[in-house]
Amino acid sequence: MAKVILIVDDSESIREVVSFTLENEGFNVLAAVDGNDALRFLDNSPIDLIITDLHMPNMDGIALIKEVRAMEFYKHVPILFLTTESQAAKKMEAKEAGATGWIIKPFVPTKLIAALSKVMR
Amino acid sequence: MSENDFSNVNSYLSFKLGEEEFAANVGKVLNILEMTKITEVPKAPNYMKGVINLRGAVLPVIDTRVKFGMSPAVYTPNTCIIVLDIDMDGESVHVGALVDSVQAVLELEKEKILPPPSIGSKYKSEFIEGVANVDDRFVMILDMDMVFSSNELTNMKDTAVETAKTADIEEVGL
Amino acid sequence: MDNFKKKFIEEAYDLIDSLEKSLLVLEDNPEDIQIIQQVFRIMHTLKGNSAMFGFVSIDQFTHNLETLYDSIRNGKLKVNRSILDITLESVDHLKRLLDEDSEKDVDVDRQHQALLDRMAQIVVGASMTSLELKLDKSTGVTSDGNAKTYFIYFEPKEEIFRNGTNPLYLIDELHTLGHAISFAHLTKVPRIADIAYDQCYTYWEIILATPHNVGAISDVFIFVEDESTLEISQISNKNLLADNDFLAALNGIAAEGNDIGIAAIQKLASRANHTKVKAQLEMANNGKSKPKDTIISSIRVSADKLDQLMNLVSELVTTQARLSLFAEQNPVPGLLAISENVQKLSRQLRDNAFSIVLIPIDNMLTRFQRLVRDLSKELGKDVVFLTEGAETELDKTIIEGLTDPLMHILRNSLDHGIEDAAVRKQKGKPAQGKIILKAFYSGANVHIQIYDDGAGIDPEKIRHKAISQGIITPEKKLTNKEIFDIIFLPGFSTATKVTDVSGRGVGMDVVRRKIAEIRGEVEVDSELGVGTTITIKLPLTLSIIDGLLVKIEDTSFVIPLSVVDKIFAIEHAQLVNKFNNLVVLDGAQVPFFYLREEFNMDVNDTTHFEEIVVVKFEEKRVGLAVDTVIGEYQAVLKPLGKHFKSHEMISGATILGDGTVALVMDTNKMIKTFLSKAPIDK
Repeated sequence: MAKVILIVDDSESIREVVSFTLENEGFNVLAAVDGNDALRFLDNSPIDLIITDLHMPNMDGIALIKEVRAMEFYKHVPILFLTTESQAAKKMEAKEAGATGWIIKPFVPTKLIAALSKVMR
Repeated sequence: MSENDFSNVNSYLSFKLGEEEFAANVGKVLNILEMTKITEVPKAPNYMKGVINLRGAVLPVIDTRVKFGMSPAVYTPNTCIIVLDIDMDGESVHVGALVDSVQAVLELEKEKILPPPSIGSKYKSEFIEGVANVDDRFVMILDMDMVFSSNELTNMKDTAVETAKTADIEEVGL
Repeated sequence: MDNFKKKFIEEAYDLIDSLEKSLLVLEDNPEDIQIIQQVFRIMHTLKGNSAMFGFVSIDQFTHNLETLYDSIRNGKLKVNRSILDITLESVDHLKRLLDEDSEKDVDVDRQHQALLDRMAQIVVGASMTSLELKLDKSTGVTSDGNAKTYFIYFEPKEEIFRNGTNPLYLIDELHTLGHAISFAHLTKVPRIADIAYDQCYTYWEIILATPHNVGAISDVFIFVEDESTLEISQISNKNLLADNDFLAALNGIAAEGNDIGIAAIQKLASRANHTKVKAQLEMANNGKSKPKDTIISSIRVSADKLDQLMNLVSELVTTQARLSLFAEQNPVPGLLAISENVQKLSRQLRDNAFSIVLIPIDNMLTRFQRLVRDLSKELGKDVVFLTEGAETELDKTIIEGLTDPLMHILRNSLDHGIEDAAVRKQKGKPAQGKIILKAFYSGANVHIQIYDDGAGIDPEKIRHKAISQGIITPEKKLTNKEIFDIIFLPGFSTATKVTDVSGRGVGMDVVRRKIAEIRGEVEVDSELGVGTTITIKLPLTLSIIDGLLVKIEDTSFVIPLSVVDKIFAIEHAQLVNKFNNLVVLDGAQVPFFYLREEFNMDVNDTTHFEEIVVVKFEEKRVGLAVDTVIGEYQAVLKPLGKHFKSHEMISGATILGDGTVALVMDTNKMIKTFLSKAPIDK
């Protein structure tokens, strides 16, 4: 049974790239445009990894991470957030909120896969 | 007082060969040496006086008078060697020019320098950059690269004017 | 970064040179495993380095070559003609790739692909796995041989599950880096009653053997390093996990159930190291030599530094001359002895510095071997290229100036000299043509001779051509030597057809000019139907020479000691008013030149005796009469400069201890000049 990955990013190109890369690796990819949108996928159906941007309208990444961690079903789901180097403070914040790890933008597909393998089997 | 390219005034070192006064752009002048023992190199052209030791390097010395078709220099206490940096075929070459005396450093404005006379001049115009009137004297400003680059005894004199070939003929005014 | 790139390119050229050499040797010894290993090693290094500095095409290209030679060394493939050919072509291609601009060249691209295809074909025949560059997870690591051993202590904080981390995944990732043994410790696990299910109580001690560096290891823990205790220490630069003794001891400690601890591990590690070293020692003592890595027996030095070294040595020699002079003129007790010592040391230093700057021509020869090999194939001729005197040493600038002219001469020999196999058979010559390059010292010169056993040069043909070109008149009598000399005139050619290889067989004037630029001379000798010999004579233009200091009038001259044969005192009367220029010395008739006369100086009537220095000239002895001979002198050569470039007799100058300038004679040129203005006029 293929694993399910949820990508949350308000940028369509990012969603495309990530979906394409991960689908090629054999994953099922769900895509949401922001935190709010993402929540509709979190209906207790299996999700094996969440990848989220931090800066999004309606509900940003930090808030989403907190929400996810508050849910019993998804308490331990691995969460990776997308960040640029300069956002050191944000990184701390995201980790405090419960993120498992991060991917630095801009990233190449191989880096994405490498990050994945740290938190998922 | 600027000595460099951007102003209208350029500096020249003037020197004398016999009674005639010449000048060279100080940009080409590295040094002025007192007369010293010159080692003659056998079978060298007439104007090659020989070589000297300049701080561990061997410097060729040219008898400028002979280059100009005059009789060879006779050494006096005023005789000296001007060390020049000449552009020869794209290479920077050091050469010593033996002159009868060194006069002064002249500051000449560009406007004061007249083009070399095209006819009636004693010397070929390709060697002369211009002529200046300084205190009622005429100073010929030379293109030192041209003068000292030529390997053979290029006749510096305008052959139309010259009547005799041997270097023994003295020029008027000497 | 550019500096690193430059370094890489330099190194790459060197590697490619040794590669070429090895390949040529491999051609004659296709079974030699040592050479195959060497070739493989070079490919491997090239590949590894090129990837680091952005030379992607070289990386890809050498990857395939490396795989190819890996198969060869594993016995899966045997070295054959086509493999060698493609390897040599690849070498040429590599050189092109090193020129960055060529990366954009379409032709280079095409060739790149063509070569890769051919390689693939060869390899497919031996049923190997695909040559394509695969993105390996284990980032370009090959053998276990470079693995180092690390000890890793990893204790995540108890809340680590809360952010979705699974430490087991990290342990797994460690395992992918190499070979690892992990020990999970449960000593922190509290009583069942107190266990919180979402707390992590486990911690790990892991021994990891990996070729990766510490960075790669800590990378694994990048997401959790803030929330864990992490220690990574290298305990050995070898793979201890391959060491059975180590493993046994390790397992022994682990079985006790407690933490192993870094201290215990380090003790085990050093014990393991010692045993290994002792074993190696034993093997060495038993005469069994282990295959050693290439020992660095040479280092790369920049040319600038060499120039600097030579300059300093020159100045030292000059100053030492002043010291000697001073010591002689000022008798201070002990000073003379010291000055002699300094002279001895500076001479030794000078010799040593020269041996560094002089390079054996051996390096140049590889290029020529390639040329002969490739060209003879192209022309369909079977030619062997032999060399003698490859150890002869020359200044590197001279070697650089020689390469072009020699290539040209070789091309001529191959194209116009050596005949086709059929023609040779007809003439009764062996089917295989021979070209021999000989280098040797002769007097003050180095001679480089190229001999071919080809068709030779027909003097009659040259004569005719010369007459038809108006160079000589039909009546003129010329010796063979003079006829052959005509070849060097610009525009002269007797080749009946223009070939691609060496044009009209012309260019001998260019050859002569280029050799003149390095102050050498070139001559041709030939026997029709038998062969041709071209001789290049080069002066040893070392910047410090041993010379003989002589005086004429007020000027000091230096005659290179290497040409000096003997010195005689001579009566003045014998030098002047002679009908011929011969003098009897030691019972033999010696031709001589009175230098004062030759130099147009006044003839010295005042002294009774002068000195005559007999020097070697070609195969003869010629005397040069001077005023006095002062003595031996170590002369630091200084150039006279462009103004004297064409001077025929003086090759340089030197500065004496008292600051005056002495002129260094080129006796060969000098005597030749004197002879050419010779007897008829005198």
